[in-house]
Amino acid sequence: MENRYQRHLQLNEVGPSGQEKIRKSSVLVVGAGGLGCPALQYLTAAGVGLLGIMDPDVVSPSNLQRQILFTENDLGKNKATCAKAFLSKINSEVEIIDYPFALTHENSEEQIAKFDLVIDGTDNFYTRYLISDQCLLLDKVMVYGALYKFEGQVTVFNYKNGPSYRCLFPSPPKMGAIPNCSEIGVLGVVPGIIGIYQATEALKIILEIGDILSGKLLCVNLLNHNHTTFNFPKNSVEIDAIKKQQKVIPIENQDCFVDFELSLDQLSSKKKILWIDVREKEESPRIAHLNVKEFPLSQQLSLEPFHNSEEQIIVFCQTGLRGKLFVQKLRELGIQNCFSLKEGAAELSIWAEKNKD
Amino acid sequence: MGLRVRYFGQLQEITGKKEESLTGVFGTIGNLRAHLIRCYPGLEKIHFKIAQDNTIDIDSSEVNGTLIDLLPPFSGG
Repeated sequence: MENRYQRHLQLNEVGPSGQEKIRKSSVLVVGAGGLGCPALQYLTAAGVGLLGIMDPDVVSPSNLQRQILFTENDLGKNKATCAKAFLSKINSEVEIIDYPFALTHENSEEQIAKFDLVIDGTDNFYTRYLISDQCLLLDKVMVYGALYKFEGQVTVFNYKNGPSYRCLFPSPPKMGAIPNCSEIGVLGVVPGIIGIYQATEALKIILEIGDILSGKLLCVNLLNHNHTTFNFPKNSVEIDAIKKQQKVIPIENQDCFVDFELSLDQLSSKKKILWIDVREKEESPRIAHLNVKEFPLSQQLSLEPFHNSEEQIIVFCQTGLRGKLFVQKLRELGIQNCFSLKEGAAELSIWAEKNKD
Repeated sequence: MGLRVRYFGQLQEITGKKEESLTGVFGTIGNLRAHLIRCYPGLEKIHFKIAQDNTIDIDSSEVNGTLIDLLPPFSGG
């Protein structure tokens, strides 16, 4: 049978030794969205040995216009898991791991350490700075791509001691200053092109060929075909400041922490819900008329029972804060059907009274 | 000496322009930034970078190029 990598093997710049480099490489793609989908598709086809896909989101109808790994059958299912299923059919030789949870300052070191290189396919500054700082601390290459309407930016950070994201943009913008795709719209092909640029840079780095976009920001405007590459220097002050921290510190712009929160007015009282109360036993009010499981965080009970819950899980506490953190933990364990309640126990108590049978 | 100033991404909407020509003596990149923010106050909340002749430069550098590009961070993916 013909070798599936024949067209790579024919290239002097790749050949059998280059293909072996690709097979031995490992890439983590954070965000299986507009950028991540096309990057993942080509990296899988190219035969990257180990691919990690991290995304906490589920596929929604508005994703299908540009996120080309998903079908209508995937609606409501986790993106990382669906992407893995699709990609496995393209190339069964690639080991693919799905991480159906978010990258956080608590798990970033462990997750990124497993891979040679990270592709940033996210849509928010919180995760971009997190990937950047963690890659800097672990000395991993980060292939950055981002877009605005018909324009895209591509560059490579931390390549052979080169500049980092903070050398370009030292501090994140204030919340809401820069809109993302879900707020302003994007022509579907634009992330496709930028994501493929990212996959191209990743393969060139793995193959050790060509000129890498390190210290160079490529700006592409697909409406007028203006492609400009801007040089930018390393900023040792910014890099040293991160290195001195020794661990990543989350930025204040939490523009992505809205996904798994539900508000009472989004719920129908008839829906089967398992309510998890993560407060301590002495906190009041206690909740009547609902299917509540008490789960005081101080007791450090086993999370095992949550794995097989067929009901939707909604976690609540006094203010919503502990619930949010607990849901993140559950999602890291692969439990997807869980959300935190935006309101606190007092509001829930009133809602429960009002909606009792 | 005339400067050709180009706006990227969201900055085109804030300024209402894709590009423009500026005349005057600005001294440093930082002074040029301040001048542009006075002309377009909406620029102030954006942490944009300024490149001259295709190199991103710091605010303390002298303006000695002819092509100035204003680059905002992008977040979309």
